[in-house]
Amino acid sequence: MTNIQSAAATAEAEGPLIPEGLPTEPRKAKPAWRSLNFGPRMWISLGIIGFVAALAFIGPLFYPYGAEEKVGSLYDSPSAEHFLGTENFGYDVLAVLMASARNSIIIGLLAGTIAVLIGVAIGVLAGYVGGWVEELLMGFTNIVLSIPPIVILILISISLQSTGIAFLKGVVGLALVIGIVSWPWTARAVRAQASSVATREHIDVAKLSGARTPSILVRDVLPYLASYAVMAWVLQLASAILLESTLSMLGLGPSGANSLGKQLFWALAFQAVATGAWWAFLPPTIVLTMISFGLLYLQSSLDEVFNPRLRRGKKKNLAKAAARRAEAARKLAENKPVEAIV
Amino acid sequence: MTGILMRASNLTAVYAADSGKDVPAVDNVTLEVPEGQIVGLAGESGCGKTTMGNALAMIANPPLYVVAGTMQIDDEDIDLSTLARGSNEAHRPYRGSTVSLLPQGAMNAVSPTLKVKNLVVDVMRAHKRDTTVAEAMDRATDRLKMLEMPTRVLDSYAHQLSGGMKQRMVTVVSTLLNPKLLIADEPTSALDVSSQKALIEMLLAMVEKKIMRGVIFITHDLPVLSMVTDRLAIMYAGKIVENGPTEELVNNARHPYTSALLSSVLDPTEETRTKHVLGIPGSPPNLANPPTGCRFHPRCPFAMDICKHEEPAFLHERDHAVACWWANDHAYQTVPMEVNQA
Amino acid sequence: MGLRRYLANKTVWYLGALVVAVVLNFLLPRLIPGNPVDVLVSKMGQGGLSSEAQQRTYEAFMREFGLDKPMWDQFLLYMSGVFQGSFGASFSFYPTPVSSLIAQSVPYTLALQLPAIVLGWIIGNVLGAIAAYKGGGWDKSVFTTALLFNSTPYYCLSIILLYVFGVVLGIFPVGGAYSLGLSPEWSWDFFSDALTYWWLPFLSLVLINIGGQAVGMRSMAIYELGSDYVNYSRSLGIGDRKMTGYIFRNAMLPQITGLALSIGTMVGGALITELVFSYPGMGSLLFGAISSNDYPVIQAVTLIITVAVLVANYLVEILYGFIDPRIRASKSGEK
Repeated sequence: MTNIQSAAATAEAEGPLIPEGLPTEPRKAKPAWRSLNFGPRMWISLGIIGFVAALAFIGPLFYPYGAEEKVGSLYDSPSAEHFLGTENFGYDVLAVLMASARNSIIIGLLAGTIAVLIGVAIGVLAGYVGGWVEELLMGFTNIVLSIPPIVILILISISLQSTGIAFLKGVVGLALVIGIVSWPWTARAVRAQASSVATREHIDVAKLSGARTPSILVRDVLPYLASYAVMAWVLQLASAILLESTLSMLGLGPSGANSLGKQLFWALAFQAVATGAWWAFLPPTIVLTMISFGLLYLQSSLDEVFNPRLRRGKKKNLAKAAARRAEAARKLAENKPVEAIV
Repeated sequence: MTGILMRASNLTAVYAADSGKDVPAVDNVTLEVPEGQIVGLAGESGCGKTTMGNALAMIANPPLYVVAGTMQIDDEDIDLSTLARGSNEAHRPYRGSTVSLLPQGAMNAVSPTLKVKNLVVDVMRAHKRDTTVAEAMDRATDRLKMLEMPTRVLDSYAHQLSGGMKQRMVTVVSTLLNPKLLIADEPTSALDVSSQKALIEMLLAMVEKKIMRGVIFITHDLPVLSMVTDRLAIMYAGKIVENGPTEELVNNARHPYTSALLSSVLDPTEETRTKHVLGIPGSPPNLANPPTGCRFHPRCPFAMDICKHEEPAFLHERDHAVACWWANDHAYQTVPMEVNQA
Repeated sequence: MGLRRYLANKTVWYLGALVVAVVLNFLLPRLIPGNPVDVLVSKMGQGGLSSEAQQRTYEAFMREFGLDKPMWDQFLLYMSGVFQGSFGASFSFYPTPVSSLIAQSVPYTLALQLPAIVLGWIIGNVLGAIAAYKGGGWDKSVFTTALLFNSTPYYCLSIILLYVFGVVLGIFPVGGAYSLGLSPEWSWDFFSDALTYWWLPFLSLVLINIGGQAVGMRSMAIYELGSDYVNYSRSLGIGDRKMTGYIFRNAMLPQITGLALSIGTMVGGALITELVFSYPGMGSLLFGAISSNDYPVIQAVTLIITVAVLVANYLVEILYGFIDPRIRASKSGEK
């Protein structure tokens, strides 16, 4: 996922430049969220995510069929009663879709949050403390990073399959495992930022005034990391959801629960594509793509908010401003004051 | 124009702020550089001096727009405005060869993947297509030898040079084409004292050898200004308030702001021990909404009624010009600095 | 840091990662107590084997796979096997050695992934660079399309492509690597046939890679556009073309490291693509092994994938050391 890399890369580079000439206000810099302007990108991405969330959490409240109600036979075509027909077990596809979306999102939220918490903790510790602690933690991070997460997940899932402890095999267990495996990206991005914050003046001020390290970390370092943490969280969400569906398609998904990946697994197993039963595989594919796209689009719009260098300006505003300036130039040319200066 | 190298007339440059409004950072300024002289441009942060430097060097980039202004240099009349579409291409031949900028922060001025000698070749080819590598190298090595710098600098990457060496190297590259006017933007700010000295000596030597025919030296470092410049122009809130020979401004300041600015520096002579160092109360105005009349009036200890309503016209006393109503009423008088006999 | 120190540093860390990976590969499946052979034998029991026969099979398997020995011995057995290039025999295809199963499937996976990674990187970076340079409407459409592709999981695009072009339009075959009745050989006929089967899975991988690289490159290039050196070159009168050359050379560097880091994530999704197309590469092999609890195959495949990714990463990082002048020509400090 190159978006994660670009986010991490820009986080590792400098912050935005401030052009000279703008009035320098002698007050504290505004926290990033105050200058959020929700551009069209953000609305679109929030809209997409909102739609899927509604489908997953609100839909079941209104839809009459349950996800495990046998209402038909193998791959019945869509009808007025069952908008998306039935899948291989005879369950209503739309009902299953809602349940799957819900589980996928829950897994994503759990795993993503765990990953961000671990990643931020390690990143801040490494970046702020520096020295051998940083070397050690970053070395450890790099090792975990270079081993393909999917491999570790497959191996762990396989052993989990044969466990007797139910919750480990299900949604929660899977989320835990994914979270524990995915934190390195966040740790890297956060460390770079924490490292640069650690050298800023207000930290020295805090230290001199006797504040203790945990308090410094929370009150002086974290606010600057907030934007990176938020972006990382969005990306971890997306990544976790996709990892889960990959596992599910391999047959290692949460046992006893539906997920988008699992729907696809069954569709493949029962040859839905070859037999043209599009209602069985297209909906989960589309929903999965929507979640993924929505989250990544959200992250890129956040990236532009937090990183002004990437902003490119709205077209119609630019045109209006240019016209205004040309007008001002014309006026100046007309009444050129006769200024004689040495 | 006898004895005048360059005259910039009615220069106005604006910033397109996020709010959509245009903030004038340089407001209808006229400035001259006499032949063979170094003119200092001084003022607090945010007064517009770097913006002016950018405008004169013809490298203004959105969100900075030069709305109006002309430059007369030798026999040429150059339109400095950047509003028209083709202005970038129209200005390009002048950059580096007629007017050249020595940038603030030469630390990152050279691309990290570019060897100095390749930059040299590119610069020369940008102005004369068929320059051979040999010609470019000859010119560069001659120049380096003339200025007593090691020629191996050419084979290095920027990151292999120390801060002081990098700054001097950038100075050489900026003047390779013997520009008529060099604009040095805070060249000494990031250097230690001995590197500063080396750089200043180099600049003076170059003027003496007529590599450049005039220099605009932008800085807020007042001791350097008095060492290096022949004339001084003081900027406040986007306008020039006083302009004259350096020695006269230092000893016989005619504008209250100049007096306050120059006296805010500690000069370890016998006299200063008996004087108070005055800060300048208040802060620079918001350029989006400047004060009416004279822009300095809210902070001026000599402000009169007229100062609040009318912008002062320039008063010329020999080669010393000042825009101040108090100065109008007190011809040829130095602004009295508060002294406290210890 | 100097080149030599950089190379040494990287080598040490990658060796370390290799060791960790190998140990994890051995350990993780054995985390939960429980015997894979039990599961196997009980499955066979469901097929109607007598309990005495089950007992005998059970003991035979245990001996064959060394599962009756303590963990440490098993590990040594495993390591010696790995070094000799033998991974034991498959559970499900007993007595076929795992290595031959892998040898059969590796070429197909390589044929898909290598061109997809390389071409995706090249084309994607070029597209992203052009988009950043041109700006405006071109930039917007390229960016949104690239982002759309980048956000689509490999297998989702695979399914869509397969349905549209394979089932509905019937232009491409629906599964497998080559037509029935043909067998792999070094002949033009075979290759042209196999190509039609290769095309759709390859497309699903490469389009997404292009999207990903384009998005990343565009961001890096736009970021570089605001750099000091761009302003300075401009102030010297250097033209736009030359400047974009500078920008790309600099934006390229993080893209190379990005490539190394993304190979690991690419691998997962790409394997599933094979499943969608029933393409007989390592993904399909792994899938089959998981469904039938064929531990030797699972372990071997995961080990190979991990080693391949590590080696690829390592090579890319070494390459980077030679390309980035800040590492290649280190600081020689001078006053």
